[in-house]
Amino acid sequence: MNVSRAMSKRWAQQCVFNRIVAFSTKPTQHAAAVSEPAAEQETVATPAAATAQPATTTPAPTTARKPIVPSNYRFIYPEFLPDPKVEWRNPIREKLERLDMLDRRRQIDLPEFYVGSIMAVTSSDPHAAGKTSRFVGICINRDRCGLRSRFVLRNVIDHQGMEVVYELYDPTIQKVEVLRLEKRLDDNLFYLRDALPEYSTFDENMEAEHLEEGAPVPVNDIKVVLRPRPWLERWERQNLLGVANIDQYIKDKHRKSAEKVQKPWEKFDMMKQYRSTIPEEEQKEVFAEVHTELHSMELQRKRNKRKRTFVKPKQLA
Amino acid sequence: MNQADVTKLISQLRIAVRPNQRNLKNPDGPEGRLLKLRKTVTALMKHERIELYYNRADEARGYAELLISNAIRHGDRHKATMELADYWLLEKQLVHKLFKVLVPRYENYNVSYTRMYKAPRDYPGMYYRQSVLELRGNPYPSLLMDQSQNRNLLHNVLLDEARKEFRRKKLADLVN
Repeated sequence: MNVSRAMSKRWAQQCVFNRIVAFSTKPTQHAAAVSEPAAEQETVATPAAATAQPATTTPAPTTARKPIVPSNYRFIYPEFLPDPKVEWRNPIREKLERLDMLDRRRQIDLPEFYVGSIMAVTSSDPHAAGKTSRFVGICINRDRCGLRSRFVLRNVIDHQGMEVVYELYDPTIQKVEVLRLEKRLDDNLFYLRDALPEYSTFDENMEAEHLEEGAPVPVNDIKVVLRPRPWLERWERQNLLGVANIDQYIKDKHRKSAEKVQKPWEKFDMMKQYRSTIPEEEQKEVFAEVHTELHSMELQRKRNKRKRTFVKPKQLA
Repeated sequence: MNQADVTKLISQLRIAVRPNQRNLKNPDGPEGRLLKLRKTVTALMKHERIELYYNRADEARGYAELLISNAIRHGDRHKATMELADYWLLEKQLVHKLFKVLVPRYENYNVSYTRMYKAPRDYPGMYYRQSVLELRGNPYPSLLMDQSQNRNLLHNVLLDEARKEFRRKKLADLVN
């Protein structure tokens, strides 16, 4: 009895999670309204109130010069957003993790990538000759948040499919290159495990493909061909857009059992969607914290790209 | 560990939201639960003040707030929002009310769109927690007593004494 009371008290404390964002009951102050009183004061103020004028005009320029966080930051840096599960939230830990993530990004360039991009990761390996190992593969999944955020690379080497899970902020990772930056139609490509091997094979000595600056990330709408059954998962139940021949291997019994399991009402379950995401105001706060640092790193990256690197000439004779 | 789903942008709810949902026992399972909540949200939009059991009121409150906030964010030209309103509001005239009456009413609000009170419980008898769920700005008189003129509350005690002090001073000045 006492144990259950103690448990319920702690759970009740966790229930109403104190979000960072706070609200006031004062009416919203629009940007126009801020400038209007300043203008009115200027016209109404007599020469006697000349000392008051500089005080009223200075607040307006500072609000106008505030840096605007780009709206696509939530796609480029999704790991900065906290865990949507409230029981696992801790604002202090999240803030410290974000500082640590920025520290790590100062040491190594972690480029923008999506599920479907082909990447090469060089990590330190104590058992390899030269103490480093390089793995090239297609990113099939991006998972987790904060310092634990990870991605999975898949490739087929010597007719053997293999996947390597890398943690983005792992200090043993020496270099992350994006050889081909592109998106796919689905947000995870686990179906490549049951697809023909040619869809997961990528050349280890592939060269980086150049994408124009400012160009949108291309969406590769390739439709993958699956091998015959048995499959690792029931792909027919997942509404995949990137699979071509799923109907070829589906029988009536599969269709019937899939229909029984359908949950068409989940599309309208707003609270479930709310609990699996971070609200916009909180996203803005998080990215406002880290925006200046990330933006300056992006500019540095662009400068490094344009810089011509000096290659020391090899002595032939 | 999970990664937040960034495909949709949702506004912050200005009410206390439980970390998990209440499953609300129903013979038809999750679909039946949503149907019951749809009926509750429809009734709330129609009557603007309803009295019901606490658990269902708390669940319906979240859905009502999200419905209104999505309607404000996207408007009625947005197909997904219109489908959402069509699903949640079982009486179709309330879809008109949502976009034409409630959205202009709540556009510039900084607080929640609904209010929830605890209501008296039926004792002895079915001692379930009761609650009253209402939309802000409804035309009915307030359920809470107006305490601003209660002479025994601290703010009025202090103001009354300040007034007496002011008048005493004025009288003293007049006499002199």
